[in-house]
Amino acid sequence: MELFDNLLLGMSVALTPTNLLLLLVGAMIGMIVGIIPGFGPSAGLAILLPVTFGMDPIGAVVMLAAIYYAAMYGGTITSILLNTPGESSTVASTFDGYPLAKQGRAGPALVMQAVASFVGGTIGVILITLLAPLFSQVTRNFGPPEYFLFAIMGLLLLIVMLGEHRILGVISALIGFALGTVGVDLETGMQRFTFGSAELIGGIEFIPIAIGLFGLGEVFYSFYVGIHQLGTGSIVQYEKEPRFWPEARDFIETRITLVRGSLVGFVIGVLPGAGATIASLVSYTLEKSSSKEPEKFGKGAMAGLVAPEAANNAASAGSMVPLLTLGIPGSAATAVLLAAFLLWGLRPGPLFMGQNPEFAWGLIASMYLGNMGLLVLNIVAIPLFVKIVKMPYRLLAPAVILVCVVGTYSVHASMIETWLMLGAGVVGLFMKLLGFSPAATVLALVLGPLAEEALRQTLTISRGSFAIFIERPASLWILVVTAVILSVAPLMRRYQRVA
Amino acid sequence: MRAVFTAVILCLSVFYTYWAFTDLNFLSQMGRLGPGFFPRIIGIGLILACLADLAIELSRRSEPPPRSEYVGTVVLLVVLTGLFVFSLNIVGGVVAMAAFLLVTLTVLNRGRLVQNLAIAILLPTAIYFLFDVWLNAAIPQGIIFERWLS
Repeated sequence: MELFDNLLLGMSVALTPTNLLLLLVGAMIGMIVGIIPGFGPSAGLAILLPVTFGMDPIGAVVMLAAIYYAAMYGGTITSILLNTPGESSTVASTFDGYPLAKQGRAGPALVMQAVASFVGGTIGVILITLLAPLFSQVTRNFGPPEYFLFAIMGLLLLIVMLGEHRILGVISALIGFALGTVGVDLETGMQRFTFGSAELIGGIEFIPIAIGLFGLGEVFYSFYVGIHQLGTGSIVQYEKEPRFWPEARDFIETRITLVRGSLVGFVIGVLPGAGATIASLVSYTLEKSSSKEPEKFGKGAMAGLVAPEAANNAASAGSMVPLLTLGIPGSAATAVLLAAFLLWGLRPGPLFMGQNPEFAWGLIASMYLGNMGLLVLNIVAIPLFVKIVKMPYRLLAPAVILVCVVGTYSVHASMIETWLMLGAGVVGLFMKLLGFSPAATVLALVLGPLAEEALRQTLTISRGSFAIFIERPASLWILVVTAVILSVAPLMRRYQRVA
Repeated sequence: MRAVFTAVILCLSVFYTYWAFTDLNFLSQMGRLGPGFFPRIIGIGLILACLADLAIELSRRSEPPPRSEYVGTVVLLVVLTGLFVFSLNIVGGVVAMAAFLLVTLTVLNRGRLVQNLAIAILLPTAIYFLFDVWLNAAIPQGIIFERWLS
């Protein structure tokens, strides 16, 4: 009953005209962010974060969250029509999406991806509604040792997923931690690595680094690999197809796939560090291995498109669980969302949903509405999005650079931060080129201060003994779960390679 | 190339760790863990990780990043972005945006003067209204215009 009341409260917040408008704007921007190749939700969120500063916090988070999950919808359009994933979590959608389009079934593929995304997203939000309050209750007993372990667990998993580039992931994460130590030490008031600069006393800001690494770095990288020269001449002309809507058998044959993909995606999304890309690839491979006709996969099987689509949307919903209930982001995109929460003075954690019900339930309710809106938008506005697909990257890129620079400057009217963003952009280009992980750096930059505070509190409680981590039942459980996940992670990597 | 990048990080890590050991205390005056505790762990970790990567890289050279024929374009873009940032406080946000767009599009989108001009005028105007008017966020006026206005 309490759950129902909370949802009603959330709906009353989300259904205000302003928040509905921001939800729609966020959904549209997210779709566009998803469509632009090489430009993921992390970049979109980081760049648009400064735009939300003048807004009401609830409306701003509703819009940012919509950008995040709408990017999962948008990325598939280019996967199906152009064989180019709009972002990494829609790579698996090219395997069967493009062959379907080549067979003259682009229309049904586009509609089915929208339906799968809607089902995945909605099942994900239903599971958040049911599980997030339970998670909050469980995590209420958590103390500094558990927080420290959770923060490290997310980073470890992210690093393990990098496979052969693991050592580069470790370096990337440690760079983020090191950047996080700049500024005044809150416990002693002592300045660290400020070199006498007043601008560095408050620490290195998250926004310029995130915008630089994800936004500007991505633009430079895209030019390096020549995305600006890619033509859209090979785009499938879906308008000329005789049949736009899917047949009944498409729905019947994929009904179990939809549910299975959603559940797999949600579980992987909840795990810190795993994310929507891994979820979609694992779901695709699972579907292929459990299919009676695996030979059809890769040649235009509707289940091969539906499975990853349901999974990546459910995963984006699942990643909200650790963010809302622990205050620990599991991915780079949710790290940007956490930064947004912190900027508005909100500290997600076990007490967050109880202390800020309007905010937390308003966000959850908006996700139900957002998924419904995106289903309609994805079917009705396909011609508009195809026009955006056809827009040359050489015209989009300068606009993105413009927003990166002006957005960074507008946060604190600081030229140093703007130069820092440009520097991070150049570093981001090299990181991407050489196999380092900008996501691990950004995640560690956010988690670093939290982890340091938790570790110092833990060792103060235990009088310097690390045995506290195995003496407390909750910590021990987290250690065991981490060990299990880390041992399963290489298996997930294998799935990724097989797919 | 990766070895050079890692070596640069290693040098910075050594400097960071040296600073953490010499300037920041391991324990606070209260006898608790001090401001140098965490940076020392990170610094040592960074040095070890960089050395490990260098050892791997030197013993088994990894594949170099794909060669690109667009290195010149990337360098030009970085330089133009730098000039754009530099000019923000001099000529002001709106003029700097328009100039950056016009120059960048002239290079990237050759032969379409009208299209480039339209984008260079319309986009900065839209961004000005979004940030400065609607969101009340700061867009630099520029020294030249501030003097002219005063």
